[in-house]
Amino acid sequence: MNDTIIATDFPLTDEQRTKLRHLLNALIPASQDGHMTSAGELDLIAYLKANAVDFLPVLLTILDDLDEEFLADTPEQHHQGALALSHDNPALFQELIYQVYALYYQNPVVLEGIGAAAGPPFPRGNTVESGDLSLLDPVLAIGKRYRPVS
Amino acid sequence: MPEVNLNDPVDVLIIGAGASGAAIAWSLADTRMRIVCLEQGDWIKPSEYPTNGADWEIQQHGPFNIDPNKRGRDTDYPINNSESPISVVNFNGVGGGTILYAAHFPRLHPSDFKVKSLDGVADDWPISYDTLDPYFTQNDRMMGVSGLAGDPMYPPKQPPLPPIPMGRVGERLASGYNKLGWHWWPSDSAIISRPYQGRDKCLNLGPCMSGCSQGGKSSTDITYWPEAIRAGVELRTRCRVREITLGKNGLADGVIYYDEDGQECHQKAEVVVMACNGVGTPRILLNSKSSQFPDGLANNSGMLGKNLMFHPVASSQGVFEENLGSHKGPQGCCILSKEFYETDLSRGFVRGYNMQITRGTGPFTTALHGYATGRIPWGADHHKAFQKHFDHVASIGILCEDLPELHNTVTLDPERVDSDGIPAAKINYTLSENSRKMLKHGIERAEEVLYAAGASEVASTDLVQMAGWHLLGTARMGTDPDTSVVNPWGRSHDVKNLFIVDGSIFVTGGGLNPTSTIQALALYIADTMKKNLANLFD
Repeated sequence: MNDTIIATDFPLTDEQRTKLRHLLNALIPASQDGHMTSAGELDLIAYLKANAVDFLPVLLTILDDLDEEFLADTPEQHHQGALALSHDNPALFQELIYQVYALYYQNPVVLEGIGAAAGPPFPRGNTVESGDLSLLDPVLAIGKRYRPVS
Repeated sequence: MPEVNLNDPVDVLIIGAGASGAAIAWSLADTRMRIVCLEQGDWIKPSEYPTNGADWEIQQHGPFNIDPNKRGRDTDYPINNSESPISVVNFNGVGGGTILYAAHFPRLHPSDFKVKSLDGVADDWPISYDTLDPYFTQNDRMMGVSGLAGDPMYPPKQPPLPPIPMGRVGERLASGYNKLGWHWWPSDSAIISRPYQGRDKCLNLGPCMSGCSQGGKSSTDITYWPEAIRAGVELRTRCRVREITLGKNGLADGVIYYDEDGQECHQKAEVVVMACNGVGTPRILLNSKSSQFPDGLANNSGMLGKNLMFHPVASSQGVFEENLGSHKGPQGCCILSKEFYETDLSRGFVRGYNMQITRGTGPFTTALHGYATGRIPWGADHHKAFQKHFDHVASIGILCEDLPELHNTVTLDPERVDSDGIPAAKINYTLSENSRKMLKHGIERAEEVLYAAGASEVASTDLVQMAGWHLLGTARMGTDPDTSVVNPWGRSHDVKNLFIVDGSIFVTGGGLNPTSTIQALALYIADTMKKNLANLFD
């Protein structure tokens, strides 16, 4: 785990930074096959500074409210901590999920991992198969079906 | 603020630059009358749409949110949905709702105009499918509609462009419909499948409902408006109408509006045309009170703002083992089914519904929706569940016919106002028992066809709250001035130079997306006005 990734110029203490990494990894851990990275590997603080600065103080409150044990706990205990947060403050947790998913599913490495193209849809566009119109044969075989009005 | 009379009188003043306002402006332009359209919103630059950015999915929740109460634009007016299980969604700007619509573009059926005669409910329209048929065709040409001729559920019609691609989603669902022996057909879509009228064909960006960066989707800012403006129509943006004013002769003589600086202006006009949708139009007319019309202009019948019809929507989503590439392609346009569109009383309800097959969503929306529905958890199982859903889903929207009921209303909110101090719209709406039964039937049939198509899992939403796209019936047309607001060609029974051309004038709503019919109506009314210019107010 690279501790420096989330060490941006936002003044997080070491404790807060560790708690944040554990929390993010609890929400989206790395996939078992290693194909997909964990959310803790991404820079949520930089993302929030650029896109949702109002959520930063809220996030700090979330981190400070996590027990000290959260620093040293196992991944299963981190999961339980996140679960407790979701029960105790569902609205806050929902906003956290929104921001973490927004960070995660815009990341080019993540998008490559799920088989989606990174970057804006326009002007790239997408290819979609025309489809087999001979599938309509049974529909046509039934013939006219609209309701007569007179 | 002192009143400023900066504007010379015009012949025709159109309020609203959306689907119907654009169509009637274009059609009336060949009269060479002086025509002005006032639009409260802005022109939207294609470069502003979310799909220009890597954060396109996030932007859908911001300035291009379908919910005007969340969009945060000062060009919107608030809507109080607290007394309705369905919330109004819209867009205010040049193009109106067509900026954010899915562009699913079916016409009403011939039977939709004869509901009372055929099924003994609601009322017949005073016009028929045949009346509108040439205007449907004209509108398809102007908008650029893609589809396939030969649908056995309609009288013959020929879309000007071939259908947009069905993709694997369409093929998979079509196989399900075929197994059950049910009707399906490629959707008529206001999306161009070939280069057309100077526009390049659709690139399959996906999220049409946050605006089309490319111009493949036919919104009226890029179809009707350039033509209308070239023909001499003046379109003024950021002009918000407060009320229609009444002259001593009992005719409308213009409007009071606020310009972009908040300055109160009075625009005089010989003819006023309302094109503000089924919420915006009654809102302005109800706010246009006078000694002659204490309950709102053109409201002697008491019908103004009543009989609000949405299309209640349910949704079923199937998960497939096959990768369907479902986040690619126009999200709301693929194929449809009219198998349950017409009345069959053995089903326990009258009238019917359209099944609109929709594609999947982008990665962020998939994950967020999965979290909200419990289908994609956070934590250790997240990746597995996400992989199972992303690009592996197909959905069916069940779009039900909503019958007119007097207690479903648009009124002026007693407390909330917009940024110019004009009262907000308040919605009072109750889902009918008939609609509930129809939604339930629709979900059961949608789940049946999804499993028939090979879905391993299906999950359904009983009623989609943010689905109040179709705003109909609040100034209904009819021949009887005691029970309707406008006559069979959109002219107010009470005020002979006031016309309404938007979805307000629908008598019944059918069970499908109404934009095609709204625009055909606007073209028909324009044509009738032109034929009657010599005695328009008789």
